[in-house]
Amino acid sequence: MTWRDWSPPLLTLVAMVVVWELAVALLRVPEYILPAPRGIAAAMVKEWRYLAQHTWITVQEVLLGFAMAVAVGIPIAMAIVYSPLIERAIYPLLVGSQSVPKIAIAPLLIFWAGLGLFPKVLVAFLISFFPIIIDTVVGLRSVEPEMLHLARSMGAGAGRTFVKIRFPTALPNIFAGLKVAVTLSVVGAIVGEFIQADRGLGYALLQANAVMDTRLGFAAIIVLSAVGIAMFVAVDLLERRLIPWHASHRSELAAGTL
Amino acid sequence: MLNGPKFVEVSDLVRVFPTPEGPVRALDGVSFDVRRGEFLSVVGPSGCGKSTLAMLIAGLLRPTSGVITVDGRAVDRPQTDLGIVFQNAVLLAWRTALDNVLLQLEMRGIDPRSYRDRAWELLRSVGLEGFERRLPHELSGGMRQRVAICRALIHDPPLLLMDEPFGALDALTRDQMTLDIQGICARGGKTVLFITHSITEAVFLSDRVIVMTPRPGRIDSVVEVELPRPRRLAVRELPAFAGYVRGIRDRFMAQGVLRDIEEAPAP
Repeated sequence: MTWRDWSPPLLTLVAMVVVWELAVALLRVPEYILPAPRGIAAAMVKEWRYLAQHTWITVQEVLLGFAMAVAVGIPIAMAIVYSPLIERAIYPLLVGSQSVPKIAIAPLLIFWAGLGLFPKVLVAFLISFFPIIIDTVVGLRSVEPEMLHLARSMGAGAGRTFVKIRFPTALPNIFAGLKVAVTLSVVGAIVGEFIQADRGLGYALLQANAVMDTRLGFAAIIVLSAVGIAMFVAVDLLERRLIPWHASHRSELAAGTL
Repeated sequence: MLNGPKFVEVSDLVRVFPTPEGPVRALDGVSFDVRRGEFLSVVGPSGCGKSTLAMLIAGLLRPTSGVITVDGRAVDRPQTDLGIVFQNAVLLAWRTALDNVLLQLEMRGIDPRSYRDRAWELLRSVGLEGFERRLPHELSGGMRQRVAICRALIHDPPLLLMDEPFGALDALTRDQMTLDIQGICARGGKTVLFITHSITEAVFLSDRVIVMTPRPGRIDSVVEVELPRPRRLAVRELPAFAGYVRGIRDRFMAQGVLRDIEEAPAP
């Protein structure tokens, strides 16, 4: 990404903040309804220690939930690809299960799993593992049949074929799934905290709302967004490192086609 | 060359594919053999089972009935003592040209380092000097196919199976590749089974050409090409060459695969 790429959205953002600041001042909007950006910034500075504490909790929940989703999702995807029986037995159920709104069953999960970090991790996991499975299945299946024929003519077994051909071929799809999953994982952790928590950014947000401290509420939302963006960027950077050969990262494409 | 010992023997080969419209006989009673060191082409329209034939000889498909032997051994599992080139290069996008060639050895559990020099040499021999470290997306279609050919040759197999290897290339690249293949096969003393739908290509490269009929795939005739080697591109303008091409084309006309216009337009 060059200055050319990220300057337009940045300028748009700055313009929006300026309009917001002016609108609040000119229209005399009460602070408890909509605070001005400067007020939110001041709250962030003043309460940084409080926010950092709760951010750390939420980040742990997100990372653990995401790690669980990877650790469970990728092996399930492999099982689906390698075993027709498993595919027929669980794939339709898995797809069907996605019609259950996970946010609706979150209270139940929290009720079962008790207090502390784990129930939030569980919600983050449940909400984020599905895209990993789907994209990994698609990726592992995207190997050309000729390539698999060649692998057999080279005398390679399933293990070596997986390591040298199948898994690397699937990586672009897997990363597409990971990017969706890490974003959903943030949502999951917050939903978990909304239902029952005594710490975390979701808790901080609810507390601020309860006392109509809108500035702090907005500050929490901004930190939360930053966490989401940071997670996404981390996965994206890892992807660029691991699969620089993939079409989406080639420099001639990044430079634009104009 | 035609008098060498039999290397590949195919007898009474039948392969039936189940389809929703009922079983399709892709190959129906096909018998022939390939002599050691021979360049044999199989030419025919789509649907004559010629790709199926290559897959069966490679042991990647099982025949419905019939027997195939390679070098005296029955083919009952995927064969590893051969090189295969498909219509698409099927290179791994994250590996350089060199590393794609060396994949052949890594997949066999052989240390590729001892083959590096040979891989460089092979790539150079097909005009890829200076492109060894390029990724597939940085190469043209013809270059990618050359890498695939090097990958099929790096382990020096006695048998080369090529399934329409030039099918996706432009006409000029095809001409060059045809010459290159002739050179490679002449040097290496390889036995080659070359699947194509181009009559000219088949005649140019082959010692013998098998003409197939479609649906069901059967052998229509076998043509021996007695043109001196090495053959230059200009050999295609010789009357003898035209005679072979016409002979094969007439077979396709007789089958109804090709239909000429009713009569020549007035000059």
